[in-house]
Amino acid sequence: MKIPLFETIRGLLPRRLRQLAPVDGSGQDTESDEWHVPPASRIWGRILGRIRIATQLYISIGGAVMLTLLASLVAWFSFNSINDAQDQVNEGSVPELASAFGIAQYGQTLVAAAPSLTVADNRQEFLRVVGEIDSAYDEFESQMAALEAQPGVDPDRISVIRDYANTLLSNIDSIAAQTDGTFELIDLRSAHQIKLANLGIELDSVLVPAIDDQFFFIMTGFPDIDQNQAQRLEHFSEEQVERYRRLVEIQSDVKIGGEQLASAFTATAPRLVNSLRDEFEAATSRIDRNMDFLVGTQIHEQAQPILNEFFALGLSEDGIYDVVLQSLQITGAQRQLLESNRALSIELLAEVDGLVIASQQGTVTATAASAQAIRTGRILLVVITALSVVGALLVIWLFIGRVLLRRLNTLSSRMQSMAEGDLESSVDIGGQDEVAVMASALEVFRRHALEVQRLNLVEQLANELQDKNEELEGVLGELRQAQGQIVLKEKLAALGELTAGVAHEIRNPLNFMNNFSEASQELVDELKEILEDPKFELSDDQRSYVDEVVGDLHDNLGRIKSHGDRANRIVHDMLQIGRDTGEWEQVDINILVDQQYRLAYHSQRATDANFNLTTEEDYDPNIGTVEVIPQELGRVFLNMVANACYATDLRRKNLAAEGQEKEYTPIVWLKTRREEDKIRVTIRDNGVGMSEEVKEKIFNPFFTTKPPEKGTGLGLAISNDIVRRHGGSISVESVPNEFTEMYIDIPLQSAKDFTAEEMAEAQGDAPQQAETVAAADD
Amino acid sequence: MVKPKLARIVFALCVGALALLAGCLSEINLPQEDGVATPELDPALRHPESPGVTRDQVVFGQSVRFNEIGTGLQIGIEAAFNEINSRGGVNGRKLSLITLDDDYDPAKALRNIDQFIEQDQIFAILGSSGTPTVRAVLPVTVEEGIPVIAPYTGAEFLREGTPDNVINLRASYKQETQAVVDYLIHRRGITRIAVLYQDDAFGRSGYAGARQALRTHDMKPIAVGLYTPDTNAIKSALLDIAPAHPEAVLLIGTFEPVVAMIKWANRTGLHTQFYTVSVAGNRHLLTQLGNGGAGVYATQVMPLVTTETEQIVLTFENALRAYDENAEANFYSLEGYIAGRLAAVGIAACRQELNRECFLRSLQNAQLLNIDGFRLQFGENDNQGSDAVYLTVIGADGAYHPVETLVESAS
Repeated sequence: MKIPLFETIRGLLPRRLRQLAPVDGSGQDTESDEWHVPPASRIWGRILGRIRIATQLYISIGGAVMLTLLASLVAWFSFNSINDAQDQVNEGSVPELASAFGIAQYGQTLVAAAPSLTVADNRQEFLRVVGEIDSAYDEFESQMAALEAQPGVDPDRISVIRDYANTLLSNIDSIAAQTDGTFELIDLRSAHQIKLANLGIELDSVLVPAIDDQFFFIMTGFPDIDQNQAQRLEHFSEEQVERYRRLVEIQSDVKIGGEQLASAFTATAPRLVNSLRDEFEAATSRIDRNMDFLVGTQIHEQAQPILNEFFALGLSEDGIYDVVLQSLQITGAQRQLLESNRALSIELLAEVDGLVIASQQGTVTATAASAQAIRTGRILLVVITALSVVGALLVIWLFIGRVLLRRLNTLSSRMQSMAEGDLESSVDIGGQDEVAVMASALEVFRRHALEVQRLNLVEQLANELQDKNEELEGVLGELRQAQGQIVLKEKLAALGELTAGVAHEIRNPLNFMNNFSEASQELVDELKEILEDPKFELSDDQRSYVDEVVGDLHDNLGRIKSHGDRANRIVHDMLQIGRDTGEWEQVDINILVDQQYRLAYHSQRATDANFNLTTEEDYDPNIGTVEVIPQELGRVFLNMVANACYATDLRRKNLAAEGQEKEYTPIVWLKTRREEDKIRVTIRDNGVGMSEEVKEKIFNPFFTTKPPEKGTGLGLAISNDIVRRHGGSISVESVPNEFTEMYIDIPLQSAKDFTAEEMAEAQGDAPQQAETVAAADD
Repeated sequence: MVKPKLARIVFALCVGALALLAGCLSEINLPQEDGVATPELDPALRHPESPGVTRDQVVFGQSVRFNEIGTGLQIGIEAAFNEINSRGGVNGRKLSLITLDDDYDPAKALRNIDQFIEQDQIFAILGSSGTPTVRAVLPVTVEEGIPVIAPYTGAEFLREGTPDNVINLRASYKQETQAVVDYLIHRRGITRIAVLYQDDAFGRSGYAGARQALRTHDMKPIAVGLYTPDTNAIKSALLDIAPAHPEAVLLIGTFEPVVAMIKWANRTGLHTQFYTVSVAGNRHLLTQLGNGGAGVYATQVMPLVTTETEQIVLTFENALRAYDENAEANFYSLEGYIAGRLAAVGIAACRQELNRECFLRSLQNAQLLNIDGFRLQFGENDNQGSDAVYLTVIGADGAYHPVETLVESAS
């Protein structure tokens, strides 16, 4: 399959490049027709791969520009051809059409001119129409000449039209000549009409009184008003009657003749005119006959000249009948000419129509050619534009897309993967252009990077080893520390067990000691009573001595008793450590704190009447419940409150010693807060406070600041133990002679199900926590 | 990712280029012919609303024969206009008159009316004389809507079923003959009445009036004679009438045949009373008859100018004197004067919105007009202002004397 586009593009390359284009010695392949699609783009890519990018860009842009130029050239030529077609319309068809229309227009004017000539009723109008005809003919001729000058006009048709027009014009000329003559006739006619009317009146004015006079004379004999009446025979004679008859007949024939003359004006055919003339001639001959009878009378003298005019009006040359006949002849000739003109006009107009249609067709053809040129140009433009677009796209797709961008993409993705650490696979992009150069440079970079990476790895391993070492040493230290703690715990545990055992063993002797010292004291008291009995006569010395001895005994026994009690209490407390008592219950901490506070307050109050305390309670109403062992936790709160009471009381006593007791009000604040994951109980007092050294030791067993008979030094240690068993912690803040504030945090999540290990771990944290604890007093 | 985006941009560019090309191609069009401009009417061709009327003038036209009648009519109108204009005109407009000679010729009368329309632009025709001439121009005036005021004729065609544009002043010929017949029968007890009439429209309408009056009394003329117009050939008619021995003969004609008739009657010894109509009853009748005229009666449609009891006659005399010291006061100038005053009344009624329609309507709707005692009445189917018929008689002194007012001008 041949790819013409490639051929075309290749054809656009300079010769030098075309020689370069075949790769791997396969030039024959590229020249041959056996160039297939799949290898084509690759080969093409390879070809272009050998050329520098700048050259490649120049080639592709040059190709696109060439295509655009080609499109422009096509547009140029098609517009030119459109222009030619348009020129043909403008210069050829349009004037031709205009001339044809002009000929049609003026031809119609010529055709219409003849009838309007014949209907012109005065000379002025006639001359105007003649002028119109002349100018119409001039225009007609000039349009004809213009049309003849046009190429492609049928000369036969032109000559036929001209012949018709000339015949038409000569007809019009003869009509015009005849019409010109008719104006004289028309003038004559109207003069005759007026004369006829006047003659009628004149004849009446002569004949009517004459008849009247004649009749009156016959009847009365009065010839005139100032003449005498005639004799009867004279006026009532045959002669007079005959004369009357003649007069009446003349009047009658004058009326008849006048009517015959008047009718002539309305006659439409010469035949009718001739018959009217005959009648008129008959009337005139009768009038002549009657007038002959009147010769020599006054009436004859008056009437004869008028009658002569009357006859001449009818019968003379240029008389009414003559004029009417002439008019009819001219009208007939005009009618014939008009008839011929009408036929000619039809022919002429048909030819002119043919001319118009022909030139219209010419125009239509030229316009169609123009439209065709426009259409062809449009299609060509679209095709060329589409080709140039497709070509540009192909260039972009093949060169920029396939050759440049794909390879750049490959290069880019290789760089990216190198940046991400993949330095193993080698960079290999074909070609000899800048991309290939970059690729080989990248390959060098890659190898260097690989080296560096390996060196770095060794160093990193060494560092890691050192870190591990240090970590191990740290762990070792921790281990040692933990070991110490374990040892301590074991010691404590051993001490606990030992203590429990010893305590149990000691309790019995202590009980004996206590019981017997008590019993001995009673016995000593009895002895003293006995000795005081007068029966025993003892000297004063003896007596005082006995008293002294007995007193000493009593005191000694008392000391034994008190120390025994103390030993007993210590033993009891020792037994309490590590003892797991009580049940886990859901407890309202507010209630628990309040109960314990009241217990402590009242027991304090019971032992010391001077004891006084103000309490400020601030319990969180939303405290809810938490699962704890109420007996144990209650002991913690009791312990805390008791310590607070003691501290405030001590401060009061100290201040009392200085006499400043009154300015001091001992206050204990009790506050509970439910926080995110725990409940915090704060117990604050404004007692003596404690120093930093004291704070560090307060959780140590057997550490106490109280006198020996007041505290065992185990209270806070036990409390701490209990709180930790609940998974919580105790912390403290204090300033000497200002305040002490204890915080007991109980987690909301119950510590009931903690395993022994977890407990151990929780307790393992204890020393650390103890270190962070600020202070305590116990 | 790069390739599709690039392709899209290239595609968009190509589409844009194609659109541009299409736009360029579509601009190449064949030149189109301009539409034909619609013709516009020339405003000057429109009919003017009121010809003959300007801010300060109204122009009337008159076509008469320049004889005693025509000149008298003209002088009378001019006298009236002069009087009115000397008082400031009508609503600030002066009245003027253009008079043309028609020589009693219908063709000339038509030429005159053409000149009035085309050249003089008159507002109305006033006081034209002559039955045939007025008849000739009437269709033109109807077509142009020109008012025809106070034509000097008593012909019926201007009175019964006439066009709207005619306003008559004087009584008709028919009324004259009717009145004289009624007078003869009622006041004089005369029943034998003969009639001579001119054989044309004028004569026939007078004859019709006489016949009609007689018919109401179950009578008819005892004799009828007629003569050819424009001749004095009345002798045959005399022969028709004389044998019937009429007590009175009604002469409906112009003065010449009437004079001939009276003379011949006297000559042939026909003893009877002659009654003629206003057309003949003029100064010529007096002079032509001479001594033989005494006792001849004539009906008139205007009061005698010598009747000084009539207010209109007095004002007319004053106006005439003011216009022309030497002008003759006669029936014609009096009729002209009243016609001029009548026209002024119509114009005054229209005030500033003067046009022909308003002018005619104001006269047609004028129920009763009193022009210095001469009363005119118009109404539906009545375009004639005055019905007045006066009877006069020629005395021994050769002058007309009033006998009786047969019909009041308006009742």
